[in-house]
Amino acid sequence: MGSSNKAQIAGTGSEALFVSHKPSVFLSPAFICRILPTRPDRRAPNSFPVSTATAPAPIEGEKAMTALKSLEQEFPLLDINFQSFCASHSILTIADFLTHDLHSLAAAAESQPASLRLKEGISQVLSIVDTLHQPWLDGLELLQDAMDNKRVLSTGIAAVDSFLHGGLRVGQLTELAGPSSSGKTQLCLRLASSVAKMDRGSVVYVDTGNSFSSRRIHHFLCENGGPPSKQDDTGIVQRVMSRILRHSVFDINLLFNVLHQLEFILGSQECMEGCKVQLLIVDSVSSLITPILGGGSSQGYSLMASLGVLLKKLAHEHDIAILVTNHMVGGERGNPKPALGESWKSIPHVRLLLSCDYETNTCNISTLKHPSLAAGRSASFVID
Amino acid sequence: MTRITTSCAELDKILGGGISCKEVTEIGGVPGIGKTQLGIQLAVNVQIPCYYGGLGGKAIYIDTEGSFMVERVLQIAEACTEDMAEYGRFLGKSIQARQVEMGPKDFLENIYYFRVCSYTEQIGLENYLDKFISEHRDVKIIVIDSVAFQFRQDFDDLAQRTRVLSAMALKLMKLAKKFSLAVVLLNQVTTKVIEGSFQLALALGDSWSHSCTNRLILYWNGDERYAYIDKSPSLRSASAPYSVTSRGIRNSSSNS
Repeated sequence: MGSSNKAQIAGTGSEALFVSHKPSVFLSPAFICRILPTRPDRRAPNSFPVSTATAPAPIEGEKAMTALKSLEQEFPLLDINFQSFCASHSILTIADFLTHDLHSLAAAAESQPASLRLKEGISQVLSIVDTLHQPWLDGLELLQDAMDNKRVLSTGIAAVDSFLHGGLRVGQLTELAGPSSSGKTQLCLRLASSVAKMDRGSVVYVDTGNSFSSRRIHHFLCENGGPPSKQDDTGIVQRVMSRILRHSVFDINLLFNVLHQLEFILGSQECMEGCKVQLLIVDSVSSLITPILGGGSSQGYSLMASLGVLLKKLAHEHDIAILVTNHMVGGERGNPKPALGESWKSIPHVRLLLSCDYETNTCNISTLKHPSLAAGRSASFVID
Repeated sequence: MTRITTSCAELDKILGGGISCKEVTEIGGVPGIGKTQLGIQLAVNVQIPCYYGGLGGKAIYIDTEGSFMVERVLQIAEACTEDMAEYGRFLGKSIQARQVEMGPKDFLENIYYFRVCSYTEQIGLENYLDKFISEHRDVKIIVIDSVAFQFRQDFDDLAQRTRVLSAMALKLMKLAKKFSLAVVLLNQVTTKVIEGSFQLALALGDSWSHSCTNRLILYWNGDERYAYIDKSPSLRSASAPYSVTSRGIRNSSSNS
């Protein structure tokens, strides 16, 4: 378990570094002109050369971790001489390459016997790196993408939909925080049944507290359409319920496994009508993260950060909406605040606070953070 | 989903049949309200054979306070045996002839009892439970009485306590799901200052309150004992009266 933890952190950490890497002071002008300013096709499959016939195709998150020696078959320039030169500077993977001072590497290559070949090898790696980043879009294309792909998913509750100006936005990570039994799970179940029914897409429900209730889903589905008296009505309800896939996860590493699997499936499959995942719900993410936060080591915080990166990437690249639930802890002067601390606050795009008035059984939802709506607004609703 | 009856019809009704398996249920209340009594009743009721509508399973009872009284368990088991015999007579002799009757001593034999004296023992035991239950597959309920006791002392670092408790909660959730058994956690109450006034709240803090699937609060209403569903993903909030008699948990006397 320990080693896989490390690989996870290293993989995602260096990927984060890779994404933020800008071609900068490291490169001499000679290198810069070799990096051709071509614009890769948008939505072309990010075809990374598969190293050997037997090794499985690396999934996106691990591309930067690909060892240099596995590229030898595709790119004969990166031969054993090049690899041992890099290894002498403790560069074993593409990620190591990028974090190294390339200027000093080039200077070191000068003093080597086969210096020209080494420098060609360096620029070869840089051109491979070029293929790894996301294609750029201009404003119009972004708008088109937003109109075509980034839709809004209705929650099934009119008051919440109008409060959120339509519902949950695809491509965004939404957090729902609230004290115990304030209705978070009920809202998640309502949302899942609404999306499965209306949008004909599938829903992945990650449940960490055994609170997924198929009975409630059935209740929400049969609500408006009347009782399933006829044969085909029952068939429809069954079909809709089969679109909600539930995973019971009790460990943060298992959550990463589920998410990576989902990433792989979404990346490799063409959009099939009715089967495309539209919504991912994690209820609750705080119960998985709380056991690993604090305690003197920063591993918990880095896992939380990598989880945030992975969730936002899934939401953006595969056009799904993600809802996670969070619980409350005591803050200063006894006022409760959402759990997971300060560093979590910047991760979700939208943060909502839920509370419930037990006497009247009404729930109250308010915004803590939203990219396009004012914070501090609230609305009330009832879940029957 | 299979459920374990509480022997009180009113309580079973609001619970949808009883305490459900595959879920973690937390039961909290003031001292003397009957938490241990309910825990013992469930540990006995889980053993009711299938032909009487029960689960025919065994029970694990983890005692952190030392409140498990064997004589009381024997008393409750005897009452359960008598009730089963009466039910058998009601159904007709055919059932009785088919199966061997369970006696009170058989009930005692099917309860695996663990006494825990410190929080490290409690955590160690939870880690051991996975292996134990893999070897004793007919265990259908784990009762922890009480989950709060060992954690209310000796912890200088409350953040560490939160971490340890949330890890423990995840393990219990996993056990409940993996082996399809019910996990019942009995919790104590503490006072909390809310808006200047003292109020009763369950022990172990806010983060612990998210660690169960269902929560039942036991409280006094005048002279009567009531149970209230505080948290549940599929049941409505409702209250039901119950009473603690010499035969165990039963319906409230004022109703019947």
